[in-house]
Amino acid sequence: MKLNLFRLALKNIGSRRTRSWLTILGVLVGVTAVVALLSIGTGVQQAVLQQFEDIGYDIILISPIGGGTQGGRGAVGGFAPGTGQSVRAFSGQSPSPPQTDTSTGGTFSPDNLGNAAANADGNTETAEDLRDALRRAATTSLDTQLLLEQVPQLIEAGTLGTQIQPVSTESTSGFLRVSTPSLDFLASFSSVLGGFDIAEGASFANSIDNQVVVGARSAELLQLAIGDSIAIGDIPFTVVGILSSSGLQDDNAGASEGALSGQGLAQNLGTGNSADLVLRGLTNTDDALFVLNERASEVLAGRSMMSVTITRVGGGAPISETKDAIQAAIGQQEATGTPISIQEVADEIQGTLGMIETVLASIAAVALIVGGVGLMNTMYTAVLERTREIGILKSVGARDGQVLILFLFDSGLMGLMGGMLGLVLGSLLSVAGTRVLGPSLGVGSFAPVIDGWLVTGVLVFSFVLGALSGVWPAWRASRLNPVDALAAE
Amino acid sequence: MLSLHDVQKTYEMGETQVHALRGVSLQLLPTQFSVIMGHSGSGKSTLLHVAGCLDVPTAGTVEYKGRDLTTLTSRERADVRSSEIGFVFQKYNLVGNLTALENVGLPLLLRGKSAKYASARARQALDLVGLADRKNHRPSKLSGGEQQRVAIARSLINEPAMILADEPTGNLDTGTGERILDLLRGLADDDKIVLVVTHNPDIAGMADLLVTLRDGRIAAQQSLEVVR
Ligand SMILES: Nc1ncnc2c1ncn2[C@@H]1O[C@H](COP(=O)(O)OP(=O)(O)O)[C@@H](O)[C@H]1O
Ligand SMILES: [Mg+2]
Repeated sequence: MKLNLFRLALKNIGSRRTRSWLTILGVLVGVTAVVALLSIGTGVQQAVLQQFEDIGYDIILISPIGGGTQGGRGAVGGFAPGTGQSVRAFSGQSPSPPQTDTSTGGTFSPDNLGNAAANADGNTETAEDLRDALRRAATTSLDTQLLLEQVPQLIEAGTLGTQIQPVSTESTSGFLRVSTPSLDFLASFSSVLGGFDIAEGASFANSIDNQVVVGARSAELLQLAIGDSIAIGDIPFTVVGILSSSGLQDDNAGASEGALSGQGLAQNLGTGNSADLVLRGLTNTDDALFVLNERASEVLAGRSMMSVTITRVGGGAPISETKDAIQAAIGQQEATGTPISIQEVADEIQGTLGMIETVLASIAAVALIVGGVGLMNTMYTAVLERTREIGILKSVGARDGQVLILFLFDSGLMGLMGGMLGLVLGSLLSVAGTRVLGPSLGVGSFAPVIDGWLVTGVLVFSFVLGALSGVWPAWRASRLNPVDALAAE
Repeated sequence: MLSLHDVQKTYEMGETQVHALRGVSLQLLPTQFSVIMGHSGSGKSTLLHVAGCLDVPTAGTVEYKGRDLTTLTSRERADVRSSEIGFVFQKYNLVGNLTALENVGLPLLLRGKSAKYASARARQALDLVGLADRKNHRPSKLSGGEQQRVAIARSLINEPAMILADEPTGNLDTGTGERILDLLRGLADDDKIVLVVTHNPDIAGMADLLVTLRDGRIAAQQSLEVVR
């Protein structure tokens, strides 16, 4: 019998085609928004979580600057490796004489950095903090060997130094970030460097020759090939490997031409999230050059400006306790630094993503409610229009409940149709959307997640939304006095 | 037997009250072709609705099979309409977006019968009123007489004990009207209670019971069995 009522409802929808379609369209828009936003949101989340999975949740990194929230935030934010700041000198693509004077305008120096930020922001205090923090960082270094003894939960520890060096090739020159991992570090923590995936050439063969591995974007910018020569801090190096692209967006792409402008820095100061930026700086290898620490400590000694210590927690040891132990150990070494677990970073980012998702979901919900109101209006009009029909149904023996079900089916079906079409359209939209959004969200490539739950959820929900919107009109219809209903025109 | 006892119906129109029925007592028997006549506004339709469980009287009782129909719940009244009563209206009252066959089968669907059974029975019923070849037409594609025959087929589909017709020939030409009346007249011979409201004096001649209403009261009541 339900099936027969179902057919009757279908006929009714068909018999008032234009208005039905307009109503369905209203639901469709809402469902499309929900599907697109949810599938993209889930896709982004999964992609981000996968990144942390790749790095490993057993890793605690020690950010060089203490105090996760105050001065440190800005300092690390501004100084985070991987912000691609020093590329600016190359952006003109025109040969210019090597600039070894770090105070030259337009290139990197802590002082310029501070001024730029101060000028852009008008916030001298932050700039001062930043400069101080950078100086402190430059002089701080943890003894990883000692750390491993102090904190027995740790099974591995290594330090990744980062320097900003004047770099010149035959055709161009400027300042670039040079990371200096040790051979041991590469063996243990390549995951932190996005896998240190060599696309061309090979990794370091030995620690005797002046070898350099170049990040994907740097290689492109400097037009480097395997075997090319490059001067780092006036010392000649040979390119032995080029890394594959990390797929991450240049952090400063939003600012002017990917360069470290005052504006870009101010943005980082305002929005920077220390753990996130440190980690992204590490995993984004695209703008860096890599020189073995064993080599760098001989030829580039004394120029280290920042170092991040990476540790791995042994199987099963509780992360938070280990973190406390590390903090204590740092104190004992009279160094500065803040341990941050990958889990914390993941949580922080997930929190942000969750917030964004909530906002988007609210917007989608509003769209859905608007669709529901439209449906309610259509059903209300339908009841008015079909009053006589209701009278007929009742005169041939329809119960109030049957009239109610008939109208609920009617509106539910319209909701369901909107839901099905919205599902299709939303899926298409999210596939297209990921293409556009992927890079700008900084998560590289990711696919929207449209699983069985989303599909069933949307279909059930749109039917229920339709039926609910029809409840009031349907109830009114069912309660009509048959004689009055028959008298209607 | 359907027996109405001192039935009153008062409509509240804001301040004013309209007394449509002012105490009507009437007994309708199976095999009887009963006819109600009266001027417009005399309460004929109201009486039909009350007798057919389509409306409840303000006072009085309507007894059928030992039950007072006026005390039933809305759902019970729906079930009485479904199983015991077939209505035929002046305006035919077919569902516009259903075919003749679907219209006729509708009461069966509402009783939970399968679509297959309903359409088989509906086909028989249409056959009975001579419309087998019109079963897939929508009401708008049928003539008035054809529509009324579809309506009669529908009223018969549940094999009700009584057929109530409110001016069934009001919109039809004389010839067509006569055929419809013959159909209804025949139903009385099938052991059904048949009550027809009409303005047409010719019908009076066919009636076993002729009731004349005036201002909500029975002005005259004649048993005309002699005529038959
Ligand atoms: N729903 C209603 N509300 C108010 N008055 C009504 C209603 N239905 C009928 N009436 C009034 O009741 C009286 C009887 O109406 P009705 O039974 O339709 O008469 P008839 O069918 O004999 O023309 C009329 O005066 C009519 O105006
Ligand atoms: Mg009338």
